[in-house]
Formats: sequence, C-alpha cells, structure tokens
Amino acid sequence: MNLPNITLADFLPMLPAIIMVVAASVLLLSEVFLSATASRGYQAVLTVVAAAASGAVAVGLMFEPPQEVFLGFGVLDPFSSFLTLVVSVGLALAALSAVGFLRRRGAERGEFYALMLFASAGMSLLAMSSEFITIFVNIEVLSIATYALTAYLRRGTRPSEAGFKYFILGAFSSAVLLYGTALLYGATGTTKLNDMAGPLQQALATSPALVYVGAVLIAAGFAFKVAAVPFHMWTPDVYEGAPTPVTALMSAGVKAAAFASLVRVFVTVGKGMDPKLPLMLFATLALLTMVAGNLMAIPQRNVKRMLAYSSIAHAGYLLLGVAALFVAAPGEHFRLLSASSLSGGTPLDVARSDALRGILYYLLAYTFSATGAFAMVSALERREDEEKGTAWDLERFAGLAQRRPGWAFAMAAFMLSLGGIPPTVGFMSKLLIFQAAIDVGLVGLTVVAVLSSAAGAYYYLRVVVYMFMHPIPEGAQPLERNWGTEAALVIATVAVVLLGILPGHVTDWLAQAGTLFGQ
Amino acid sequence: MVPITYYLLLAAALFCMGMFGVLVRTNALVVFMCVELMLNAVNLTFLAFARMHGNGLGHVSAFFVIAVAAAEAAIGLAIVIAVFRSRGTVNVDDIRTMKH
Repeated sequence: MNLPNITLADFLPMLPAIIMVVAASVLLLSEVFLSATASRGYQAVLTVVAAAASGAVAVGLMFEPPQEVFLGFGVLDPFSSFLTLVVSVGLALAALSAVGFLRRRGAERGEFYALMLFASAGMSLLAMSSEFITIFVNIEVLSIATYALTAYLRRGTRPSEAGFKYFILGAFSSAVLLYGTALLYGATGTTKLNDMAGPLQQALATSPALVYVGAVLIAAGFAFKVAAVPFHMWTPDVYEGAPTPVTALMSAGVKAAAFASLVRVFVTVGKGMDPKLPLMLFATLALLTMVAGNLMAIPQRNVKRMLAYSSIAHAGYLLLGVAALFVAAPGEHFRLLSASSLSGGTPLDVARSDALRGILYYLLAYTFSATGAFAMVSALERREDEEKGTAWDLERFAGLAQRRPGWAFAMAAFMLSLGGIPPTVGFMSKLLIFQAAIDVGLVGLTVVAVLSSAAGAYYYLRVVVYMFMHPIPEGAQPLERNWGTEAALVIATVAVVLLGILPGHVTDWLAQAGTLFGQ
Repeated sequence: MVPITYYLLLAAALFCMGMFGVLVRTNALVVFMCVELMLNAVNLTFLAFARMHGNGLGHVSAFFVIAVAAAEAAIGLAIVIAVFRSRGTVNVDDIRTMKH
C-alpha cells in the first residue's frame, strides 16, 4: 500500500483555518478553568486577534501562484485567499458586536466564540475545496457550527425556533446537494473537480441525464445555502430569530463561502455542457431573487427582518455576476461602461475575470455593510422586547441622530452602501458586477437589477429618515455604549467610505483575485 | 446478480420518500428521520456507483456521510429538545411565532 505524499507545504495554504481552529480550541479549553463569574472579556479579543492573523496570512497567500494542494482535494488560488480575507473580516466584526450583546444577556461564554471560529474555519476551507466530499464536509463544518450558534440563547422561543428551521432546511439542502454529487460521481467515476473535465465530456455523450440531473440538484442545494428565491423561505425567520451577531456572521461569511464554492463547482461542471443551460439556470435564479427579495423587503417595519430580505436581494445581484460567467460570447456592448484597454486574453476571458472580480468585491462590500448594520441593530435592541417582537422596530431608530450622532452617521453609511448609493463601497461593487454583466451582453437582466436596486433604496432610506427626521420617542431607554460595538461600527464605517472613494488601488489589486485555478 | 439500475432506482425512491416526508410531516422527529433517510439514499447511490466503477471513492464517501450524519444528529436532537423545553411540543405546525 502506498501512502499519499503529503508534505508540510500542503498545510501552509490552510494556515488561516488552522489559526482559527487553534484559537477555538484554546477558548474551549480555557472555559474549563474559569468560574461562572470570571471576566470573559479576553475571549472576544482573542477571536478578533485570530481573525486578524488569518486575514493577514490570507493576504500573503494571495500572491502565491494558483496550485493544487492535498493531492488535488483543494486548491490555493487568489480567489480562495481573497475569500478567506472576507470571512476573517466578517468574523472579526461579528465577534466585536457580540461582546455587548452577550454581556447584556449574561450569556458570555467561550463556546460562542469557539463556534464562530469553527464555522469560519469551515468557510475558509470551503473556498479552497475542489473535491465533492471535501466540499460536503466543509459545508457541514460551517453549517453545524451555525445551527448551534443560532439556537445558542436556547431559553427564548425565537432562537430555538430559528435554530430548528435552519437545521431542518440546512440538512435537507445538504442532502439534495449530496445526492447531486453522488449522481455526478456515478457519471464520471471521480469526485475531484480538476479530474472531472475529461470524464464529464464522455458522460455527456453516454448518459447526459445523469449529469444534468446531478448538476441541477447541486445548484438547488447551493441555492438554499445562498438563499436564492425560490429556496429562500427559511431566511427571514432564521435571520430574525438568531442572535444578532450570529445573523451578521451568517449573512457575511456563510453566504460568501457558499458563493465561492458554487462558482468553483459550476465553472468546472459547466465545461462541456451547453453553456446555455447554466446561464439560463443562474439568470432565472438571479431575476427571481433580485425582484422578489426587494419587493418582500419593502413592507417590513422590522429592521432585522428587512435586512434579511435585503440579503436575499443581494444574493440576486451576486447571482447576476455568476450568470455572467457562463455567457459563451461577449455581447455587442462590450466595454460600453469602461474604456480601459484589454489587458491580455480574449474579450470573453477578460469579461469573465471581470465578473469574478465583481463577485469578490461585492462579497467584501456586503460583508462590511451588512455586519456593520447588524452590529447597529444589536446595539439598539433590548432583551425585554424580544419576545414581543418589537425589539427591531423602525421606531427604535427614531431620533437616533440626536441621541447618538456617531451611530446615526455609521448606520446611514451602511444603509447607503446596501442601497448602492455613492460614495460608498456598495455603489462601486454594484457597478463592477453590472459592468461585467453588460460586457457579456446580459443587458436586459442588468436593467432589471438596476431598477430593483432603485426600489431597494426606498426601504434603506426609510431607516435614514427615521434616524434623522423623526423625534425621539417618549420613554426611550438610555442607550448603552460598549467598546466592541463601537469598534465594529468604526471599522465598518471607515471601510465602507474608504473603499467607496478610493477604489482604484483596491480594484487593481483585486484584478488578480479574479484568478481561478485551472482557468 | 442484481443490476446496478435496481439499486439506483431503490435509492431514488428512498430519496423521494425522504424529501416528501420533510415537506409534509408535522412531527419534528419524523421530519428529522426523513432527512436521515435522504442521506442514506445518497449512501446507497454512492455504493452502487462504487461497485459499477470498481473504485473505492464511493465507499469512502459513504463513510464520510455516515460520520457527518452522526454529528448532524447530535446537534439536531439538541435543538429539538430546546424547542420542546420552550414550548412543550415538537409539532412543526406549532413552531411559528415569527410571522411575515
């Protein structure tokens, strides 16, 4: 029996995930030695330090050439490293906003941060996975940790309900995805994405039904994970019922990792297939998700629930970017929106790499804006109102500009960014995706995207109106300040504004993040 | 010898039964068992294909699925218990405090 040759060099690409797992283990073990009343302030700090270290390592890895690691079970490319960076950012901001949230509930425990770290390690590894079983295991690593986090405040009725719904639909979608991979394994005889191209061609000739059914099931499984319409039913309830910092981690990290894996799988599986099929699939999902997400968000007075529907809408814009990857020829409006010269490669290659870059930039932008907004929501909610369901009402935001001008400014920045209004990062990222979509000729779909995002501006700006133009409600409780929340707000606001006004350097640097292994 | 197709059809039937069960049953524990049924249908598919291709990948996959399903069961049952403690019921139809 010959043992596989795994060297230390194979572990280096996983260093960000290893850092997270080690930090999580330290937190879990240290909890054993603490009394119930001991100070636990260090736990969030340790989590943030681990996230920062992982993010720094990921930035370093981004300059490595694309390569296979672990015998082809994973790949290291700038795409996966950038995604690890996004996950680290989301983790750090979510952990910072958890400090005050948990302290107000007397629920500060090492397990909470450890589960967040385990989930983030799963997300980072999922972005690297290039083999179906590895993908499945990593999806489950991140999902199981998130199920537990959702039901973490188990005494309330809402968290347990949200945890239950998330668990059932998450397990259901994992099973659907897994059945799809089983069928693809049957058609090709391999589960490694990098070995699949050849056998897939043969299988398409001999048993196309197996491949197509498998691909559709995998797409449906991922559609559940990224909350695309019509697979979105769980999202509003789970996002509303989960503890707010967990919602922040879910909306940022889980979604980003699922999108990364979706792109990696379908760029491989889509090869050799008639490109119209994945294009139709993702274009339809994008259309439904954008329109329905925005329409359902409009009547919401509950800000947390509104942000949940808004995250569905944002998945729609991202799916537009994914659809742009599968267009077979550049459209006639190529370079309509940008005059920059071609930097090597055919127009189609350039357009595809632009679309990948747009997706990544959008994920980073959404992570900053959404985690910031959820941090704000968690700072304003009070535990006593939770069971009544009024903890997240728009009234909470009334007159915030007079009570805490800094908070109101930060929230306004996040809302403008989510609505795609300049000068914020949300505008730049939408522009990149829409530009890539127009370059490949998806003009109609892009027009729908622009219109629906204009409709979205209504419910984002309503929050701003409440903050700046409504009087302070009578009997308003004093607002507690907390260093964690304020740090999260400052970091997110600075990033949202800075990335929005100096995108030139960042997008140049990002240009190489659009490199996918084997492309 | 029984042809591979029969195993695949059986697995597909089991998978559909599980899917149907998740969508229509109201007892949380039955819903949970239906999810397990879906995963086991996937295992059967993997094993049938492993036999057909004559490589071990399908067997390895099935073991991973079993391990992950066990981890999922641990969390899932814990959540069901939390639901039961906070409401005194595990009926899916009663678990809807949050409204649109």
